[in-house]
Amino acid sequence: MTARGWLVGLALAALVLLPLFVQGTYYRFLGIVVFIYGIVAVGLNILAGYAGQLSLGHAALMAMGAYTTAILTKALAPVAFFAATGLHIWLGVIAGTAVAAAFGALLAFPALRVRGPYLAMVTIAFGWVIFKVLQEWVSVTGGDLGLASIPKAQIGLYIFDTQSFYYVVLALFAVAFLLQQQLVGSQIGLAIRAMKHSEIAVSSVGINVHRLKVLVFVISAAFAGFGGTLFAHQQNYISPDNFQFFSSVFFLLAVLFGGAGTLLGPVIGAAVLTLLPEMLHDFEKFRLIVYGGFILVTLYFLPNGVMGLLERRGAARADSGSAARDAVQPDFAATAGASLELDNVSKSFGGLQALRDVSFRVAPGSIHALIGPNGAGKTTLINVVTGFYRTDGGAILIDGQAANIASMHDAARRGIVRTFQTIKLFGDMTVLEHVLIGLACHSGAGFRLPGRVQAREQAARNLAAARELIALVGLSRFEQTPSSALAYGHRRLLEIARALAVRPKVLLLDEPAAGLIAEEIASLAEIIRKLRAAGMTVLLIEHHIDLVVSISDRVTVLDYGAVIADGPPAAVQRDERVIAAYLGPFHALA
Amino acid sequence: MYFFLQIATSGIATGAIYGLIAVGYSLTFMTTKVLNFALGMWVMLGGMLTYSLIVLHGIHPLIVLPMVVAALFLLGLAAERFTVLPFLRAGSDVWVMSTLAVGLLMIDLSEIVWGRSPTPVPPVLGKEPIYLGEVSILPQQLIIIAAACITFLALDLFYRRTLTGKAFRAVAHSGDVSGLMGINTRRLQAVSYAAAAALAGFAGFLVVPLTLAEPQLGTVLGLKAFAIAIIAGLAAPRGILVCGLGYGALEALISGYFYTGIRDILGFLLMILALFLKPEGLFGRGVEERA
Repeated sequence: MTARGWLVGLALAALVLLPLFVQGTYYRFLGIVVFIYGIVAVGLNILAGYAGQLSLGHAALMAMGAYTTAILTKALAPVAFFAATGLHIWLGVIAGTAVAAAFGALLAFPALRVRGPYLAMVTIAFGWVIFKVLQEWVSVTGGDLGLASIPKAQIGLYIFDTQSFYYVVLALFAVAFLLQQQLVGSQIGLAIRAMKHSEIAVSSVGINVHRLKVLVFVISAAFAGFGGTLFAHQQNYISPDNFQFFSSVFFLLAVLFGGAGTLLGPVIGAAVLTLLPEMLHDFEKFRLIVYGGFILVTLYFLPNGVMGLLERRGAARADSGSAARDAVQPDFAATAGASLELDNVSKSFGGLQALRDVSFRVAPGSIHALIGPNGAGKTTLINVVTGFYRTDGGAILIDGQAANIASMHDAARRGIVRTFQTIKLFGDMTVLEHVLIGLACHSGAGFRLPGRVQAREQAARNLAAARELIALVGLSRFEQTPSSALAYGHRRLLEIARALAVRPKVLLLDEPAAGLIAEEIASLAEIIRKLRAAGMTVLLIEHHIDLVVSISDRVTVLDYGAVIADGPPAAVQRDERVIAAYLGPFHALA
Repeated sequence: MYFFLQIATSGIATGAIYGLIAVGYSLTFMTTKVLNFALGMWVMLGGMLTYSLIVLHGIHPLIVLPMVVAALFLLGLAAERFTVLPFLRAGSDVWVMSTLAVGLLMIDLSEIVWGRSPTPVPPVLGKEPIYLGEVSILPQQLIIIAAACITFLALDLFYRRTLTGKAFRAVAHSGDVSGLMGINTRRLQAVSYAAAAALAGFAGFLVVPLTLAEPQLGTVLGLKAFAIAIIAGLAAPRGILVCGLGYGALEALISGYFYTGIRDILGFLLMILALFLKPEGLFGRGVEERA
């Protein structure tokens, strides 16, 4: 157990024992509020902190939970069966959580189209619509007056009072916290964190970003709704005022203040922001000034929140399990390279014909170079082959089969994997984590949370495979280094390792040598040769002619979107049209 | 028919206000991609200042107008310097919270200075409606529509005809390259933020005689204006005026013929629908994403 683990355990013990020493219900009541807000903040942290999707509408999601359980339990309370068992309360809690989750999915749809701040504004609007509906739909929600005499939590005939409900909510809060921890540590958690930095790169390793986003929204909304249901049964009275815009601001502030994207941050934030006003006299009068000032102070002086202050980066990251090293062999041999064939592929942007009737074939297990002057359409070609753009016409064949590639993650799943000309890595995530995300695609055909034993075996296999790949590109020393701290050449190599983790049948490298020094280019060539030796097909886009000539089996030359030469490197080098394309027509004449 | 025209006319006046605020979002979006999340609160501040100067200090509205606009412009410059610029670096989004924080401060400070209770402000040209055939319109509403049209015309000329305006559009397209071309992007960023604040103040000056002066005045206005800016396209100022006027009329007709409660909800549903069908806005041009 780590030092932090002990601290959390100690804090939990204190929270369990504390009420025994404190007189009166006031502090227990405050504790309950902190735990409930903590649950909502934890949910928002998953969305805003880890996935980078700002939401200023979480109070509305909380309201969905609160109103659902309030309406349901009030209707069911008179039924003798429920009155005797208290089941209606827990039905209400489940229903409220589910309804909020459903609305989370709804809120995810704009998030598929807009990002960051614009999404935040949309969530404000969403929150406001819900608020309005609560006000206007009087027959169901009670309008501004709200809903009163919501049943208290109950099991069997025992009805919880503030004293005992404290422990219920504390336990549920602990569960929520553990769920967050499990999620963040899982494969899904890796992908969620990566999505914050580059959605395109996440889809390039075969992950459906749209589905992932909806999932994150649903999970986050479920936390908010769950908190809302507890709130309703604690307060026994709810009105739209409980779920105003400012409550949403409160939750986002709690996450930022505590430290977005940290496990404990939202909890600390929720606790401080709930307890602080209690200590301030005349708080209600200056509520917005206090919050406004608090936001500014947080942003200025605690850009990474309280946890950011406490965390000594890197040092805390222990090297976990080096024993698994010799467990699994990387199975490149099993990944037979496929052939890739383009048949009259065209693509235009408005009036610009970026690719015109491009046809060529990349033989399986070969290194095939694609060269051409700037603007010849090389990157467009990669974008078309990997499904980032749809073709205007023509066909792409993998192993002779026409492939209708719908998206980048679809391409990756079919074994067509790429790297990027402008490097797209996942910011502060470590080298190891980058490669593990690449492996996610294969851990059971997507995202399931497998059972514990299975999960552990899978994790060990993934770790071993990831280490092999990192060793292959020579980054073993940097396993635990955040990608943002890597040297430029190492970033290029990391992109390749991440792509390899998807086990490509065809690997497309978009100018991997750009910006590398001579030694780095030499080791890059070595890596690419190794891949060919293992049977992989490599399509290499490059400007470094030396590199191209020394390692390629075949070269295709593009100019103005059309193939002007295709053949062995030596032949292409002597081709008049190629020389003309690169050096201008006069050279060809000379 | 009379009822229809009557409602639509006053709706268009409201829509002109929405348009004026919405184009403020567009101004900052075009230069920095920053949005002032509390733009509605700036409208409120403009309205409260107007109330204070006209009602409490008895200054003539024609003098009040430049005072309010200038004050908000200067405040906008200060707000940009201290609550936006420090957070613009490294592609972070935290200015969402800092611009919001400024708005929260404004609401409470206004309540402390001017109190919470809504107070009327006399319109410049009185309250006698003008009749266009059967349809009546308040002088203030006419002023608003005219002011919005003139503002948009001026903006359009500015963007298309003046060098500074072209610089704005260049910065919108690529800040880095514009900087290399010798455009002072930093100044444009600050000015665009302040100009959006000044426009919001102008909108507040115009709207406050129709509503009442109160610290809660701007919140909903700001949100609706944002919805309009999204529906039209943040980079399409002309479209914003069209959508603003149309939105105002539509919303008035809905509350006239159906039910007021549904009015506010509709706008946001339209926004979400627009985002889904045409995320760059009805009048915006799409930009192909690059890999």
